[in-house]
Amino acid sequence: MRGQRLLLPGVLVGGMLLVALAGPLLPIADPVRQDVAGRLTLSSAAHWLGQDEFGRDVLSRLIIGARVSLSIAVVSTVLGAVVGTLLGIIGGYFRGLAEMVTMRTAEIVLCFPPLLLALLVVTLLGPGAATLILCLAIVFTPAFARVAYAATLSVRSLDYVTAQVALGKPAALILWRTLLPNIAPPLIVQLSLTVAAALLLESGLSFLGLGVVPPAPSWGLMIRGARTTMEHAPLLLLWPCLALTGAVLALNLLCDRLREVLDPRGSGSGRPGFLRIFPTLRTPSPNSAAPAGLLAVRGLTLEIAGPHGPVAVVRDVSLTLAAGETLALVGESGSGKTLTALTAIGLLPSTVRVVAGEILYTDRQGVARDLLRLPEKDLRRLRGKDLAMIFQDPSSSLNPLLRVGAHLEETLRAHHATGSLGARVVELLRQVGLPDPPRSAQLYPHELSGGQRQRVMIAAAVANHPRLLLADEPTTALDVTVQAQILELLAGLKQAEGGLGMLFVTHNLAVVARISDRVAVMYAGELVEEGPVAVVFAQPRHPYTAALIASTPEGDAERLTAIPGTVPQSWAMPPGCRFAPRCSMALPICDDGPPPVAMPAPGRSTRCLRWKEMA
Amino acid sequence: MLGFAARRLAASLVLVWVVASLVFLVIHLIPGDPAELLLSQGGVAPDPASVADLRAHLGLDRPLGAQYLTYLNGLLHFDFGTSLQDEHPVAEDIVLRLPRTLELVGVAGLLAVVIGLPLGVMAALRSGQLVDRILSNLAGLALSVPVFVVGTLLVLVLAQKLHWVPAGGFVALSVNPLRHFGLLMMPAGTIALGLAAVVFRVTRGAALEVLERDHVRAAQARGASPAVIIRRHVVRNAATSVITVVGLHLGALLGGTVLVEYVFNWPGLSGYLVLAVEARDYPAVLAIVLVISALFVLLNLIVELLYGVIDPRVRRA
Repeated sequence: MRGQRLLLPGVLVGGMLLVALAGPLLPIADPVRQDVAGRLTLSSAAHWLGQDEFGRDVLSRLIIGARVSLSIAVVSTVLGAVVGTLLGIIGGYFRGLAEMVTMRTAEIVLCFPPLLLALLVVTLLGPGAATLILCLAIVFTPAFARVAYAATLSVRSLDYVTAQVALGKPAALILWRTLLPNIAPPLIVQLSLTVAAALLLESGLSFLGLGVVPPAPSWGLMIRGARTTMEHAPLLLLWPCLALTGAVLALNLLCDRLREVLDPRGSGSGRPGFLRIFPTLRTPSPNSAAPAGLLAVRGLTLEIAGPHGPVAVVRDVSLTLAAGETLALVGESGSGKTLTALTAIGLLPSTVRVVAGEILYTDRQGVARDLLRLPEKDLRRLRGKDLAMIFQDPSSSLNPLLRVGAHLEETLRAHHATGSLGARVVELLRQVGLPDPPRSAQLYPHELSGGQRQRVMIAAAVANHPRLLLADEPTTALDVTVQAQILELLAGLKQAEGGLGMLFVTHNLAVVARISDRVAVMYAGELVEEGPVAVVFAQPRHPYTAALIASTPEGDAERLTAIPGTVPQSWAMPPGCRFAPRCSMALPICDDGPPPVAMPAPGRSTRCLRWKEMA
Repeated sequence: MLGFAARRLAASLVLVWVVASLVFLVIHLIPGDPAELLLSQGGVAPDPASVADLRAHLGLDRPLGAQYLTYLNGLLHFDFGTSLQDEHPVAEDIVLRLPRTLELVGVAGLLAVVIGLPLGVMAALRSGQLVDRILSNLAGLALSVPVFVVGTLLVLVLAQKLHWVPAGGFVALSVNPLRHFGLLMMPAGTIALGLAAVVFRVTRGAALEVLERDHVRAAQARGASPAVIIRRHVVRNAATSVITVVGLHLGALLGGTVLVEYVFNWPGLSGYLVLAVEARDYPAVLAIVLVISALFVLLNLIVELLYGVIDPRVRRA
């Protein structure tokens, strides 16, 4: 599929090379034969593209010119590639002196603008094809050396290369058999890039009259010649310009496509959420009864595009959160817990689509609003004000170019704070326990420790006194000792802020026990069990919850038990209970369909058919 | 920041010295006598007496070490010797012409950023949509047209066919500012076209990458408006990549001035280089190559310092 992307530029470049190679065999006029009577005539049967200022046939000059231009470009590129790659590999593999000599030399050659270096060589050696090839090769060698050097350094430290060195394989063999294939992709891209650059340089020098020597044809030389007569014969100028531009365009296209195919990262995932004009869901709200509490998620289903059609990464999830309550959302990575939290604040990646459900939020006036059907503009007014979020990795969640205080000011200003906010910022930093708050506000994120950064994130989150705090694994990226401090801070803030509700996403059961009132367990995109923490931990009503507790080192279990099997891939979900394939209690009926939600007790729910048998 | 700047400046000076020494070595260590090479034309061996004259004139008959010291001493006093064409001190020509080339590069660079940066951000925000595809393809095309083709076609269409602008030339700023800038626009625009395409592509790629970063999402979660997010978080962070890549393209940019000054008869330093190469005017070619290379190093230094201004993390390294 991706290979098809190479077809168009491949055919273009291949065709061009073929015409250039076959040039002398084609039935075309002699490109250097002059015909003064026919100078500057337009196209005729004998001369399809007309004749130039000396009456020479333009078409044959274009074809033979391609041969001259392309052969100079290709030969010099290959020369530069071979020498440069060798130098780069040697420098990168053996390091030490070899590294210093090759890389410093490359750096110095790169100090000269390419065309200038070429002009210097031409001055010393005089114009001509051989000089051109030599100077182009010199110009391009450092780029190849750099690419090969960087690639070699990264491949060299890979385990299997180290293993071969340890096994005593000769260096030359390792370089040839293992290293070269691995550093080939960036070199191939560089190769097509360089042929285009060589073509540009060659034609530029020839255009200046310092490259290919007349009467031999070259596209640059043809443009130079046509320039003098362009007022009377503009077509004469157009043909070589088109040929040259077309050739460079084809080569650049090939280079871009090669890069796409060989390095398929970074294909943009679509437009960012804040450009969304419409609400996430445009179907009318199911109009269910007014919810009790702060937040009610009902029947939330999220899909991503899979190889065989859409895949439900979150299916039919419902949960409620009362004001002042902390609900822990627990599950393994990929269980959909973070996606559920992101949906509530409207920040899903654009690859994930909301298919069904509602998220009812009761605002300060007591009006319930469906966040899934709220226009982006209205949702933005809630973000950072009513709804706040703390993310997993505090180091990447702060803008490295902005001071700490600027982040907090941004939050305040986004919600109509005006005037000087310095005092408020310092107050916030003091509240989250940052040392020397006035000074801390002036620091950049990289000058803080991980724990301090998370404190800044928390300060930004609580700046506008939110009513709902979404915490997505806020302690996972931190040291254990710092984790405890952050949890303490969150608990303290919750008390200070009164009715603040918190949705705490985590995979750590010890954290759950410590911070939350109730717990909701997710598995493979489904909510499998929900209830008060103490009750659920003491008597789980779903086999997955039980297995999770048994596999936690911090738990009271005498023996750690791993859950057999792995989480199913999102595009190959079991039709029935998603945990059934790994469940010790599974029965054939478990595979028949999604188990209904059962309510073992008020405020508790489970998605297991056999919950009654769980002792 | 000051310490950072001082360190980078010192490194650049060393680099300029290395480049100067290299240029010196290139003339003296390549096989063949430059004086003989200079005087030989069309395969005819030159007259030994005139070769000896020229050797003495260029100081080539002295020991290499002494020549090197004289050369370095000359450079320190901004003395590049005299031109072989008109016996005129090369330094004077450089002083006269360098500002014109700098003006061309500066205006072209400014134009390129003013055009390329906003369009790049726009394309990234609408990635995959029609606007993005049109702009990206246009940039691909602009990158593929050689500067001298753009320049020649502009002269053909705008000057010769439509008679909107003169085909080229130069009027000093002090003589007639309006005509000066009028004549500057075509060469500067020609260079800016390709450079704007580069800026566009880098900005688009960098902005796409930044848009996926956590801190952009965190800013959204704080309720920041799209305008604030784009300006403070996306553009600012993308700017570091843009500056880096533009720095890498400075060489091509300076090379481009050679062709563009030639096409538009802009009497800058680069165009003078072509004349000097044609006349095999050694002292002039070497001096110009050295000055432009030093300029290249200097521009790279400015790029690095800019980088330090934008990114606080760089200053400490």
